[in-house]
Amino acid sequence: MGFEQIMVEVLKTLNIEFIFLIAMGVFIGLVVGALPGLTTTMGIALLTGITFKFSGHSAIALLMGLYVGGVSGGSLSAILVGIPGTPANASSTQDGFPLAMAGKGAQAITISRMASIIGTLFGIGCLAFLTPLLTELALKFTSAEFFLVGLFGVLISGALTGGDIALKGWVAGIFGLAIGMVGSDELTAWQRMTFGSPELFGGIPFIPIMIGFFGIPQVVEALTDEHDVLVAVLDKTKVKLKDITKYWWVAIRSGLIGVGVGIIPGVGEDVASWTSYGVAKKSSKHPEEYGKGSIEGLVAAETADNSCVGGAIIPLLSMGIPGSPPAAVMLGAFLIHGVRPGPMLSFEFPAFTYQAVSWLLVATIFMRFFAMWLARPMQKILQIKNAILMPIVTVLCAIGAFSLDMRFIDIILVFVSGLLGLLFKQGKYPAAPLVLGIVLGPLVDTNFRRALKASGGDFSIFFTRPVSLILVISIILLILGQLGVFTKIKAMFTKTRTAAS
Amino acid sequence: MIDESKGRLRSLDVFMGLGFLAVAAFVAYDGFVAYYAPQLATVEKSSNPGVTTLFIAGLMGVFGLAIAIIGMLGSGRPFRIARQAVSETLQSKAFYKGIIALACIAVYFFVFWGRIPYVISTFLFLAGTMAIFKAGAWWKIVIISGITVTVVWYVFGVLAMIPLP
Repeated sequence: MGFEQIMVEVLKTLNIEFIFLIAMGVFIGLVVGALPGLTTTMGIALLTGITFKFSGHSAIALLMGLYVGGVSGGSLSAILVGIPGTPANASSTQDGFPLAMAGKGAQAITISRMASIIGTLFGIGCLAFLTPLLTELALKFTSAEFFLVGLFGVLISGALTGGDIALKGWVAGIFGLAIGMVGSDELTAWQRMTFGSPELFGGIPFIPIMIGFFGIPQVVEALTDEHDVLVAVLDKTKVKLKDITKYWWVAIRSGLIGVGVGIIPGVGEDVASWTSYGVAKKSSKHPEEYGKGSIEGLVAAETADNSCVGGAIIPLLSMGIPGSPPAAVMLGAFLIHGVRPGPMLSFEFPAFTYQAVSWLLVATIFMRFFAMWLARPMQKILQIKNAILMPIVTVLCAIGAFSLDMRFIDIILVFVSGLLGLLFKQGKYPAAPLVLGIVLGPLVDTNFRRALKASGGDFSIFFTRPVSLILVISIILLILGQLGVFTKIKAMFTKTRTAAS
Repeated sequence: MIDESKGRLRSLDVFMGLGFLAVAAFVAYDGFVAYYAPQLATVEKSSNPGVTTLFIAGLMGVFGLAIAIIGMLGSGRPFRIARQAVSETLQSKAFYKGIIALACIAVYFFVFWGRIPYVISTFLFLAGTMAIFKAGAWWKIVIISGITVTVVWYVFGVLAMIPLP
């Protein structure tokens, strides 16, 4: 498809209807993101259920608007009340809230908005530039590589989000893979782990699981929490462009970190913003200001989590492997709407990447305006009691899951996965690898067996191709590194050298 | 001396690790059933659906066991710590609030859903839960619940044409 044809396709999906839907998505995203307890992932899962009757592209445009708005919206509550709206904005709380408490709330919001815009634009630029390149690479992949990329994604996501111990992230991811394999096998139609229930023959539906896993624990936790919310007062300080351009290097570096983390499967915005914040603090001339209201720290955190949005969509569109939990839910939404991300996307919908870029650009423009307009009303909204908000969220969770297939089993799944989510939270098991595991289950399963079939059952197929070999070595190094083998070896050498000297 | 919260987390790890081990055993059983299923005799062994299931079960089993061992070593006395944690949890107000919240959701999902018309059941759930968790004056609760039900019914039942239960 030539450039002109692509532009025609892009313009087709930039009419009033699409612009209105994107604006609505950004608005909903900002509100969902700003309300502590409602995450972007949950918002996308809920809206997928609600928009399943929309035409494919328009629903996806709306969800992309929500993704951009959600990640950005979380900073509003992070700055105004010191509680991050989403995990992605936890690092923004470090400096945003102290700034607001020092009477610079409006300044902090404006700077965080500017940083969000810079980050989102950076991510969009990388999305437009890198997706075709990665698609070219993915087209050369065989089943062995796809299996290893899927497995590597689950393991690295587990390692980077594990928090307590990496093993918890890994087991969560593998558990997700097992859930993803429930139902009719794609190659032989054999029923796996269905307990003979016909309702599970088509597999465990992804959206009700996500709604339950993210929604119910938040509802229960919020209803048990009695803390009063302290809302900062907004000032009327004007922020000039030069107030942020002096941090141009921090913004570029954070943008790169955000996109880089975004491309890593299933890791997401929270890791991006904390990594960027940590790097910025380490290399800052004034590290002592961090945590006390450093504008540099706020720029680093906000640029990274927003650039991660574009970064997370790159592997989703090029390989069908999501770069973050919200992108994983979006993959589910893509499939519901008949868009199958991956290398074949460039043949089935050649202009899709550029359409996505244009939707994200429109979303960024709306985000710029909505975020400032919403700042003052949000001061009031953030004071709504959890006892009012959470029952409403529960109703939306139920109807969102039910509206997909109108089956009662989806309501049961919401409840069961909610209990599982509570258990995971108690045990400090990360959600991101589980989500990634569920969506990648079928990909890992079919490609593993296709690779083995192609090689006649010979496992050397996973070591003899260059990309496969690199991935296998990466997996081994990742596991050994997380188990502390290298640290122990280093310590042993140091001990030996000290003893010898 | 082990930090108390760390000790409790490790104690929970023992049980969750064993839980994952049990899930892995079930997944492995399902894998074996598929691998030796007579209906799949014509399918090449390398592409048998049981192959991936067994691979996943193996990984989950190893990781689950490792977590249980780390938990055992880290907590020292996991069962005693668990017993103490359970008795303390049973005395906490937050735990009962959580149970009540879950009970409200369970009643809405499993008792009301499909048995009482959607609009009435949702109104009852909203008003009941808000009242239990002291959201405000009764008339405020009635107004908020009424508005929410109307909006949800209009958006889903009328605009999206979803057959509400």
